[in-house]
Amino acid sequence: MLNVYLGEMEQAVYHPPTYFDNRYEDEWITEELSVEMIRDVDHSEVISPHLIESPVLGPISVREISGGVKTLILMAFDSSGRIFNASVCGDNCAKWILKIAEEKELTINLRHLMNFGSGDFEIRILNTDEVVHNMGEFVSIAGNYV
Amino acid sequence: MKGKYKITVKNNRLQYEFEIKRNITVIRGDSATGKTTLINMLRQAENLGSSSGIDVICSAPCRILEGASWQLILENSSGTIFFTDEENAFINTKEFAEAVRNSDNYYVLITRESLYNLPYSVEEIYGLHCSGKYHDTKRAYQQMYQIYSGYHELPVMPEKIVTEDTNSGFEFFKAVGEENGISCESAGGKSNIFRLIEQTGKESVCVIADGAAIGPEMDRLYQCALSKGNIYLYFPESFEWLILSSGLIQGKEIRTILAHPENFLDSREYFSWERFFTALLVEYTKDSHLRYSKAKLNQAYLHERNRKFILESIQGITFQ
Repeated sequence: MLNVYLGEMEQAVYHPPTYFDNRYEDEWITEELSVEMIRDVDHSEVISPHLIESPVLGPISVREISGGVKTLILMAFDSSGRIFNASVCGDNCAKWILKIAEEKELTINLRHLMNFGSGDFEIRILNTDEVVHNMGEFVSIAGNYV
Repeated sequence: MKGKYKITVKNNRLQYEFEIKRNITVIRGDSATGKTTLINMLRQAENLGSSSGIDVICSAPCRILEGASWQLILENSSGTIFFTDEENAFINTKEFAEAVRNSDNYYVLITRESLYNLPYSVEEIYGLHCSGKYHDTKRAYQQMYQIYSGYHELPVMPEKIVTEDTNSGFEFFKAVGEENGISCESAGGKSNIFRLIEQTGKESVCVIADGAAIGPEMDRLYQCALSKGNIYLYFPESFEWLILSSGLIQGKEIRTILAHPENFLDSREYFSWERFFTALLVEYTKDSHLRYSKAKLNQAYLHERNRKFILESIQGITFQ
């Protein structure tokens, strides 16, 4: 289940890509989910835990993947219990956030209206303790907080 | 700071090319489109100059604004285009908004958050995309595109009009609406528009607000309009811009200014463009029967001929 806290959240990690650069584990990068997310969002291929092949930048280090994918990987594999600011993720990360939340109880902080797509979903808004099921319901509540 | 600036940032693999013409430009959009790479290239070029291997071509200096000393940097800068990446939480503070106000710099802010303290234009919210390889097929060519270029779901014959304005703009559309059976309500400021349209029923509602400063509201208004389907957004620069651009006020100089306002308004004097257009309209009508006041609508603007001029310049809204 995806839980979202909207607006400023002091205890959240405001810039997850920086946290990622300092805390990621090599084995996270070669997990099947990470490989898929890096391929889908960054259009890049994982060659090894230390090497990514980008179509634009050529061979790059893990630290050079996008901030959005870094945050997705943290959401999936970080076990520190920290809450990450998902507003560093573009809309092209939304489906992956929903997917990660299918497998675990995931809580994120959002400071903008992420577009979760035209389909149905289940997101608990922690500010109001309400569950929303589509973008119309989400915008109606989230628009008051972000 | 005045004017339009073309900026090119390039190395062997990437070339960014874009123009900015207002004091505040926002870049957002999908992940992995090269926003942080742009900042990294600008930072390296600023620190190492040409020995970085990066070319930054612009008639104004391009610098990165980041870290704890941002206020000190701004206090000692003018005529500069500052770029900030999304890790800089200070851009959402009142202190930053105060520093931008009256500042002689332009700002390019990378963030998906709505910056409610800053009055930026709906026209100046961009994403980045790769528009292909450049000449030698090795270098990727990155350009900006307007995120909300297609927000006008017009034409519309509204049953209700919601205006941001409380004074002259509202009075004008209220009078036009009364003649045509269209109800008109003032939101009493842009920050109230979302709550007002959220409460509307099934009638078609046209929201009229100042595009020059509606940027921070745009995300929720656009998403709300998409979800509800009966909300139509019409955001000219401002009501005063509508009057000026309608041709009602004669003068070649006005047309010249409206064609390129960025060459005539100084960011130190005008926080956003709608204030400039108000000042312009007040100045050009002060000795005429069309003397304009923002606080109360001069009834001359409602005379049939004058009203027709203004309404005909509004593309996409049918009032009768």
